[in-house]
Amino acid sequence: MLLNVENITVHYSRLPALRDVSVSVDEGEIVCVVGPNGAGKSTTLLAISGVLNPTSGDITFDGKKINGMAPEMVARAGISQVPEGRHVFTTLNVEENLRIGTSIRSDRSEIEKDFKHVLEIFPVLAERRRQAAGKLSGGEQQMLVIGRALLTNPRIMTIDEPSLGLAPNLVDRVYETLIDLRNDRGLTLLIVEQSSERALKVADRLYVLRSGQMQLEGNAADLQDGVKVRQAYFGFEDDAAAEDEAVF
Amino acid sequence: MDYIIQTVISALSFGSFYALGALGIGLLFSVLRLINFAHGDFITVGGFALIVPSSAVVATVAIGGFHPVFTILCIVAIVVALALFSYFFVFQHSQTSSPATMMIVSFALGYTLQNAIVMIYGGRPKAVNVFPALTGQVQLSDGISVQILQLVIIAVTWILLISLVLFLKRTKVGVQMRAAAEDFRMARMLGVNGKRVIALAFILSGGLAGIMSLLFVTQTGVLTFRMGVPIMLFFFIATVIGGMGSLVGAVVGGYAVGIVSVVLSATLPEELRGFRDACVFLFVIIILLARPQGIVLTKAAKERV
Amino acid sequence: MIEANTPLLRLIRYFWPLVVLCVGLLIVVVIVDASGDIILAQTLVEGLVRIVIVAALYLFIGNSGIISFGHIGFVMVGAYATAWQTCCPYTREMFMPGLPTYLLNNSHHFILAIFLGGLLAALVALISGIAIMRMSGIAASIGTFAFMMVLYSAYLRWSTWTSGASSVIGLPTTTTPWVGYVYAVIALAGAFLYSRSKFGLALRSSRDDEVAAKAAGVNVFGQRLLAFVVSAFFCGMAGGLFGHFLGMLTVDSFYLGMTFITLSMLVVGGMQSLSGAVVGVVILSIVIDVLRRLESGIGGVTIPTSSAEVGVGLILLIILIFRRTGITGNQEIYWPFKADISASAAMKRQS
Repeated sequence: MLLNVENITVHYSRLPALRDVSVSVDEGEIVCVVGPNGAGKSTTLLAISGVLNPTSGDITFDGKKINGMAPEMVARAGISQVPEGRHVFTTLNVEENLRIGTSIRSDRSEIEKDFKHVLEIFPVLAERRRQAAGKLSGGEQQMLVIGRALLTNPRIMTIDEPSLGLAPNLVDRVYETLIDLRNDRGLTLLIVEQSSERALKVADRLYVLRSGQMQLEGNAADLQDGVKVRQAYFGFEDDAAAEDEAVF
Repeated sequence: MDYIIQTVISALSFGSFYALGALGIGLLFSVLRLINFAHGDFITVGGFALIVPSSAVVATVAIGGFHPVFTILCIVAIVVALALFSYFFVFQHSQTSSPATMMIVSFALGYTLQNAIVMIYGGRPKAVNVFPALTGQVQLSDGISVQILQLVIIAVTWILLISLVLFLKRTKVGVQMRAAAEDFRMARMLGVNGKRVIALAFILSGGLAGIMSLLFVTQTGVLTFRMGVPIMLFFFIATVIGGMGSLVGAVVGGYAVGIVSVVLSATLPEELRGFRDACVFLFVIIILLARPQGIVLTKAAKERV
Repeated sequence: MIEANTPLLRLIRYFWPLVVLCVGLLIVVVIVDASGDIILAQTLVEGLVRIVIVAALYLFIGNSGIISFGHIGFVMVGAYATAWQTCCPYTREMFMPGLPTYLLNNSHHFILAIFLGGLLAALVALISGIAIMRMSGIAASIGTFAFMMVLYSAYLRWSTWTSGASSVIGLPTTTTPWVGYVYAVIALAGAFLYSRSKFGLALRSSRDDEVAAKAAGVNVFGQRLLAFVVSAFFCGMAGGLFGHFLGMLTVDSFYLGMTFITLSMLVVGGMQSLSGAVVGVVILSIVIDVLRRLESGIGGVTIPTSSAEVGVGLILLIILIFRRTGITGNQEIYWPFKADISASAAMKRQS
């Protein structure tokens, strides 16, 4: 396993947001974590990125323990997060945004190659290279932050709700791009999603998180009918009741 | 007409001074959300570093007596060291607190510095003569003579401003600082070294304070342990009116405050002269009533809903 | 175990922190009064006046979450307003020649004078608060600082009413420990009742989450203004008390020093607790007293002047870095006995 989150508990002050949560991601996999609002999905990613410190449990990356590391060191280790809400640097232009992550790399020529490659994957960014990032549309910003994370040359990219606030066709494009990245570059992906339908289409393996605890884990292939996922998502024993609640 | 030109230059000079000061405040606020109430006291320390510690009324100049370039370097270095010291030993530990708590921390630091100065130098004002050549006048044309120092202040300000802009836009570290100022957490997640960026902000802020202490002491010729307080306050007013979190706003606010200050000095009737500062505050309050977030809007000023 | 199961006991339990503080202070006052030591009595009075100020600070800062650097301005307004009414009937014209004829020729009883001083401070707070409380929390704090400086420089220049940089001498020294105690109790009770009232609750909601409070219908501006004005009233009265304690007034005493000391007392004790206000005053008063005596030299040990200020500054920094919530941890003094009657009664009913 490339990334191993083992039984972590994360507190916000005295409130436990995650209890005994485990997630693992193997090299080259696409793993999705789904769950309703407030389940703790973002918290999990923030704990991996070093922004939050688990009160117990361990996170290992490539065999090394990374819980407790500062975020900038986690980035250097090879984990790059695209957080919820995009977070472009609005006062910087597109190019400055893209290049921000390259400071952790020292290989000049490789950086330039990667930079050109990102502009190829997202031609719209090449067009708007000098524009202030705040002026981009939602979809363009999403492309920008993915490209930005890519330029840190990560081994694993964690993405928090890439579909948030985007029109469905744009979401399709984003996911196409992500899958291509995995297929072409072998990039490992850990994606947090609210829509389990979307997740089931894209993931190799799926986790369902609810109220800070892991409810279900399995191969996406086995869970395709969505029954078990719905149950875990909403917390119903009875499948009939779950179907009434289904929003997708 | 001549009087007007002199007033204009005076206003620009004052405005430049306040712009520099507001910039020093703004740098730390944008990166760290820190309201540094000790900034004025950093300036005071820079001033007192010019003289030998004693309680004499006429100060014996120590560093102030070196070759001008050396004096400048030394004073700036001392204030920068003080700024870094306060970051590592004071502010770093309260970084996770609310801006309000950090504000009290800086207030405590400033007050402690003031009284430490009293302990070392005594409480009485001291006369000090530094860069006397600058206090002379220069004839610009018939009837218009301005103080050289005023022109120097304007020039120094613009040199520093342009350097800062180049630094923030063209250097890698500068771009990192801008990114960190906007979204500190995100910058760190992309590998930007948080501590380094903040330390850099303190170095820049301290450097500005050091230069300002030289300008201020050359102008007034007096050192008092509380001299940093009123100017610090004006810098804050400038930042508030210009728009907190924006460096451009800080400069705009600084000029606004400086210009209004001089205009009031020139136009207020005799009896109200002493209340000039109160009038400046009144002006600021009126602006804030109309536009509470300040003149230049930034993400920092907008409420997160 | 004493359960709060009678109306009287329930009342006491509700007011418990206030009761403890007032009784505790009463004991101190009785002891000092009995000892007859004048110096001790003076330190006590100074402490009691500070309690009035810091309780007022707690009322505003503790509930609104906005740091105010300006309340000492209100203390000054109240102090001089009192002086205009009670000071030196025969030499008043000499110190403050610009006063209106009514004030030059008449004097009020000190209780009325102090009360009117508080009212004037409240009025000043109302006017300035309308502007300041509109600003965001941090900007408002800067605004209060600016306000204090403006008042200070205004009073300094307004020499026909305040004697400018020189002192006004000759106020009747009517602030005895008992007088001080009564006002301290009034201030503590006022701060306590305000905090427990719906106004205090509404204000605290804006402290914790301004947007949510507004969404819940709280008039944040109005509540902040109210707390600002009420706390200014108490500060104004404290100013009058102070003047009647020292017997003289100087504008310079109402500037950074007093601002810093009173704010430190609140923070060290615990910004969000009334008990913290008192604890902070007591502890720092002792520290300052000890350091001042060392400055004058005891037993051969002398420390430089201003060491007291540096000492307080360092203490404040240490508290802010290591224990932000102050000595009391932002908690009040709790009812030490078995708690809720309704819960235990309900349990009894169930079984």
